[in-house]
Amino acid sequence: MKTSKKESETYWNPLVETLPMERLRDLQFKKFKKIFEWAYKRSKFHRRLYQEAGLQPRDIKSYEDIAKVPKVEKSMMRDIQKKDPFPYGDALCVPLEEVTEFRQTSGTTGTPVYQPDTWQDWEWWSEAWAYLLYAQGYRKTDRVFLPFGYNIFVAFWAGHYGAEKIGCEVVPGGVLDTEARILKIQELRATAMMATPTYVLGMADAAKKKLGIDPARDLSIRKITCAGEPGASIPSTKKRMEEAWGAKVYDHVGATEIGAWGFECVAQPGGLHVNEALFLTQLEDIESGEIIEEPGRRGKIVITALDRIAQPCIRFDSKDVAEWSKDPCPCGRTFRLIKGGVVGRADDITKIKGVLLAPSAIEEVVLSIQGLSNEFEVVVTKKEDLDDITLKVEILPDEERNRETILSQLKDQLRLKTNLGYNIEVHPCLSLPRYEIKAKRFKDLRKQG
Amino acid sequence: MDTRIKAIKKAAQELKDLSKGIPAVDCNVGRILASVKMLEINISDLLTYRI
Repeated sequence: MKTSKKESETYWNPLVETLPMERLRDLQFKKFKKIFEWAYKRSKFHRRLYQEAGLQPRDIKSYEDIAKVPKVEKSMMRDIQKKDPFPYGDALCVPLEEVTEFRQTSGTTGTPVYQPDTWQDWEWWSEAWAYLLYAQGYRKTDRVFLPFGYNIFVAFWAGHYGAEKIGCEVVPGGVLDTEARILKIQELRATAMMATPTYVLGMADAAKKKLGIDPARDLSIRKITCAGEPGASIPSTKKRMEEAWGAKVYDHVGATEIGAWGFECVAQPGGLHVNEALFLTQLEDIESGEIIEEPGRRGKIVITALDRIAQPCIRFDSKDVAEWSKDPCPCGRTFRLIKGGVVGRADDITKIKGVLLAPSAIEEVVLSIQGLSNEFEVVVTKKEDLDDITLKVEILPDEERNRETILSQLKDQLRLKTNLGYNIEVHPCLSLPRYEIKAKRFKDLRKQG
Repeated sequence: MDTRIKAIKKAAQELKDLSKGIPAVDCNVGRILASVKMLEINISDLLTYRI
């Protein structure tokens, strides 16, 4: 086990981040067997699920056998927590008194799911964040500002601890309002920040309009880590953020039930690495469930957290849609890349007028048009059995004179990128809803009749 | 490194045995062992699993 100084300057753990693919697979297979057995022995829920599928730990004999293990969906977790022990239910694998952390999902897709973690699990969360932040260039010399509410959602909590683990100085931006946060960033000369793409753009707007501060010129933020929305992997949104702040913007993907499983590195290769040291990430065909190993074919991501013990995450159906990249990353990590990040969610990608549409494709177009604000809203309805799609946008006040050109570009690009025609509605600037955490810009009203 | 990690783990466990229930020892040992687990994930697992 030898590593060079240069490797340690690049990777959080050069021993695993440069491990050849076949050895990573071997490690993942052996660790999968261990966590599968752990859950089988300790969780009534998991044992029931696997017994119904006719599977026992000894049946997992090869990497390929992992695909036989039934997937767990969020809806199952909601049912589990109606059982004992309160409030988590029978997927809990440790005595209740060993749980030190409570978080819950945001409830975007239904009733929130509770997530118990032991202190070891919480160390593991911050370890996963340390991998990703180190890959994004965070170092001991950084002063990291977190403009985040420190609430019941995991969001950037683990980012806080991961940055501390690296040795950064962390400033909790907690209950401050947006303007106070901007002023604190300026006062402390913070060098890095973590926020949702919506809030990153919203802060830049507020800084300019309310405080006369140009973040790119007047603040010292030089790297921003995004989560919660796909924006940092959408080229036009990333460009707007980077220009507004004069900073590199990096994406990261994770979930409360899973952990921080994917990250962009400083090479910005147009995709996200999956953390193959801590997770087993499988891509499955949305219809057939067949495992996809080859690049260029979209599928649904199914993830196992290999070391999470309180409420194990084994073959969790994330619903995130992605495809493997064919190119290795210039950073030298052997962790695979998903091309362009998560392109959508299996339950978000919807058929409109017979065409498959991912809402992120609309964001890519809207934010690529100069003269439009960062906000928009999409409403899908049904009119006499026909799908109807309305896109609401805002034209910036000083771009009103270019209104016709802007709208013409917008229509052309939408047709080109999404193969759909839209009713375009222009709304007064700042009249569309603004969001601080997860934006809800896509509204499909067809199912409401 | 693996040898040293094992030694830290053993020492922490022995410390817990010696404390006979002193919360200030047991709880801090719990935190040490969680950190040791991260060292095992990063280093020892490669040997344990013969990678």
